[in-house]
Amino acid sequence: MEIYLDNAATTQPATAVLLAMSECSRRCYGNPASWHRLGVEAAKVVERSRQTLAEALGAEPDEIVFTSGGTESNNLAVKGTAWAAGRRGKHIVISAVEHPSVTAAALSLEKLGVRVSLVGVDSEGLVDPAAVARVLTSATILVSVMHANHEIGALEPVQEIGRLCRGRGILFHCDACQSFTKEPLDVAKVPVDLLSVNAHKLHGPKGIGALYVRKGTALAPLFDGGGQEGGRRSDTLNTPAIAGFAAAIEAVDLRAASVMRRLRDRLWDSLRRAVPGIRLNGPRKARLCNNLNVMLPETESKPLLRKLSAAGIYASAGAACSSAKPEPSPVLLAIGLSPQETVRSLRLSLSRWTTQAQVDAAARAIVRLAGGS
Amino acid sequence: MSRPAETLDLTGVPCPANAARALLVIEGLPAGAFLRISLDDGEPIQNVPPALEEQGHVVVDKVRIGTGWQVLVKKGEEA
Repeated sequence: MEIYLDNAATTQPATAVLLAMSECSRRCYGNPASWHRLGVEAAKVVERSRQTLAEALGAEPDEIVFTSGGTESNNLAVKGTAWAAGRRGKHIVISAVEHPSVTAAALSLEKLGVRVSLVGVDSEGLVDPAAVARVLTSATILVSVMHANHEIGALEPVQEIGRLCRGRGILFHCDACQSFTKEPLDVAKVPVDLLSVNAHKLHGPKGIGALYVRKGTALAPLFDGGGQEGGRRSDTLNTPAIAGFAAAIEAVDLRAASVMRRLRDRLWDSLRRAVPGIRLNGPRKARLCNNLNVMLPETESKPLLRKLSAAGIYASAGAACSSAKPEPSPVLLAIGLSPQETVRSLRLSLSRWTTQAQVDAAARAIVRLAGGS
Repeated sequence: MSRPAETLDLTGVPCPANAARALLVIEGLPAGAFLRISLDDGEPIQNVPPALEEQGHVVVDKVRIGTGWQVLVKKGEEA
């Protein structure tokens, strides 16, 4: 039995997604910017998908910009707002636990004279809105705080942070790649101006994402080119992937979150009962439904992951994007773990396809390999 | 002749997303139904009506209103 518990890194595409992509590739292969019949058929796929995504977010279709994924969406949000602000762009605020695509994008602006403030988190990884408020200045153009953390699942108080940004006329960007379709997030209710999502975390295809851009938000494009997506993102649209993205959204079962939460809690209960000294990294309550991150006091995660992989159980030590880097996880350091503790940490992330039998088998294997009882 | 029950504002929507959105709405209407579409001047008014006609719908009327256009379309029987 293969047990895939690395769904925060990526998910297995759903059959409906593969069918939608295959059908689109065969029948709607025209360029959606072309005016002939095949082009217009492809454009219909794009616009139908845009409507599906907009409805899922509570947005208008014109507020959706398709991108190549979460990294591009985050770069477009951070750099695009700073570039559009021009000489006015002097200060950006991000949290200390953002995805590297937000952090690196923000820090890259420093050479243009933009000052970047990193707001710390508490021991559970949660940002204090009051701490954000304290660093805002009249020069602040953007605050970027993620919805759910990619390593420890912390659900940040984006409603409160968005409200304080809106009250001061500051743009608020939220990276929702981990939480999209798992936790409710309606842009009609949350005061967010830019929101990043992607498809491959919800059983959709890789290489497709989107940025919600609230109507009236000034945004400079990352790429020069043909001016697709209303001039906000040039390049020929990836129509099959867009069709797959919509199919993935349509296949979401809203009841799945409570099942994932129950199985995740069951997995944690099994581990904490059997592994002495095991600790939960991240929040106990304000936590994404499919995320478990634990610190194993006596076991380094990399050799453990190799043994688990050999047993057909797939998990990770942290963010997939950072796995190749030898440095300790900035997220785990930010919540107070020592460098030695970060390399003893294990991220187990479920999907709506994870079963109780899989969770129980994974727990037994981890306990056995981590020297528990 | 029944009057159009549906209207669709496509002003500000880039080409050819405007044509695609018009076709998606028309596909949801019964044969013979009418749709009144608001379009921008320039490329949209030049390209959207022919794209609808190519898919079997009938452009009944085009009226200039202010800086834009209103186009009355009848869903084709075979479309």
